[in-house]
Amino acid sequence: MIIEAHGLRKTFTAKRGRGKTEQVEAVRGVDLEVEAGQIFAVLGPNGAGKTTTIRMLATLIPPTAGTATVAGHDVAKEPGKVRENIGYVGQAGGVDENAPGRDGLVLAARLGGMSRKQAESRSEELLTSFSLTEFADRPIKTLSGGQKRRFALAIGLVNRPPLFFLDEPTTGLDPQNRANLWDEVRALRKQGTSVLLTTHYLEEADALCDRLVIIDHGLVVAEGRPDDLKKEIAGDVVTLRLGDAANEPAQALLSAEPYVKEVRTEDETLRVYVDDGEHNLPHLLRALEAGGLGIQSISLDRATLDDVFLRHTGRSLRDAD
Amino acid sequence: MFRHTMLFLGYELKLTLRNPVWPLFGILQPILYLLLFAPLVANTTVGGTMGDTLRLFTPGVLMMIALFGSLFVGFGMINEIRNGYLERLAVSPAWRPAIVLGRTMRDMLVLVVQALLVIGLAFLMGMRASAPGVLVMLVLMAATGLLASGLSYGLALALRDENGMSQIMQFFALPLILLTGIMLPMSLAPHWMQTVAHFNPLYHAVEAGRSLFDGDFTDGSIPLAFGLTLALGALTLTWSVSSMKKLAG
Repeated sequence: MIIEAHGLRKTFTAKRGRGKTEQVEAVRGVDLEVEAGQIFAVLGPNGAGKTTTIRMLATLIPPTAGTATVAGHDVAKEPGKVRENIGYVGQAGGVDENAPGRDGLVLAARLGGMSRKQAESRSEELLTSFSLTEFADRPIKTLSGGQKRRFALAIGLVNRPPLFFLDEPTTGLDPQNRANLWDEVRALRKQGTSVLLTTHYLEEADALCDRLVIIDHGLVVAEGRPDDLKKEIAGDVVTLRLGDAANEPAQALLSAEPYVKEVRTEDETLRVYVDDGEHNLPHLLRALEAGGLGIQSISLDRATLDDVFLRHTGRSLRDAD
Repeated sequence: MFRHTMLFLGYELKLTLRNPVWPLFGILQPILYLLLFAPLVANTTVGGTMGDTLRLFTPGVLMMIALFGSLFVGFGMINEIRNGYLERLAVSPAWRPAIVLGRTMRDMLVLVVQALLVIGLAFLMGMRASAPGVLVMLVLMAATGLLASGLSYGLALALRDENGMSQIMQFFALPLILLTGIMLPMSLAPHWMQTVAHFNPLYHAVEAGRSLFDGDFTDGSIPLAFGLTLALGALTLTWSVSSMKKLAG
């Protein structure tokens, strides 16, 4: 296990003006286990406690309670040793924008113990693999968002850490840059680096990770491999719009059908979780027609992590912000 | 530890050389004071030549660079806190005090170079000061740079906000300037003002500078200025280093 965390808690004291303070429990008891060589995602809506959790694991903030062993060392007792084995890219990126990227890379490499020659050749290596050589000698603030993010990644990887933390790495990037970054993260796993990333994009967690936890309001609500979590719910989801007052009778009617695993209402839509949606859809349509219920719109999809989130928290990830 | 400090120093110096706008800007106002104000002061001093006036005036201008230049380096650090750069350094294997020390040493070097430029200009304008005195003054400038820089970074790390920092700077800058005797000798000031000035380390530095430029190495203000500046400098440096440690875990 490259990360083992038990019962992590973090309470912040926020000022509420005029000498009053308020205790804010950002993380209320999180357990995590990450195996070496995995991509592990922490998925959750904004404010769930993902960033606080990753910062505790990266030794940026001390936990209020709980323990965590990262890369073989306790975060509270040996933070220095943890830092020698991790790379970290925060939400803000964390690069010195006034300096050229190459200087930042060389500095990071030399701080990690390399000689000047070693640092320069390592920087050259990273510039090539991230396609940044062209932009290496201009101040980073003159670069585009995607290029800045790639530099942030490259600098974090300079000392070849066995574990890499990424906090919301693709927020604010366009789809092309997002896809490129995903490729780079996958390439890391190929080289044997373990990655823990936080995100609120379920497609990202779905596409990248081997295992994930879903966090909501400071607690873990689901944990496992994406496919296993989705299978737990059901293979497919039929999303229906029936019109006013039709939801309740429809729910009762459909729950009685043998192939229906679960029915959930969400505002005006009805989500019906079925096995083998392709073959059971006609039965469903016939059942609704027999019950005299008109359909306004209908769609059939595979279950997604959003459905997993909905099952465990009662809210959709998309609306949860 | 030493190595990391040197690495940061080299990195920051390279950045400053690449973009020397701010240090050059920092001496602009003092140079203007020298060029425009000194002739006026020369006329108010009875029987004073330009050379004499400059010997009296330049140490004050040097302190002005320290106040208007070095004291503002913290704003750059606030930016670095905000964009996550300092945080990433805190999580790296870098020795944390080196992050501040490298920057402070850079600030001290920049201040000494700025001082040399202003002294050079004063020489061109007719000042004839004792050469060893000037050298010792440069050392005192370095110590003042330590104090100003440490104070600025300490404030930056404590406040983390440009508005708050700006307000505090504005609040203290004017009294500090006026109580230093830069503009006019404090002997012209009322008694209560002279007493208050004694608590201002810059006042002692200016007095020491005046004695040094005159070649008078025995004046009591010199050891007083050094002692005060170094002691306060050590305090502010300790403050900013420990604030840096608190930045992350």
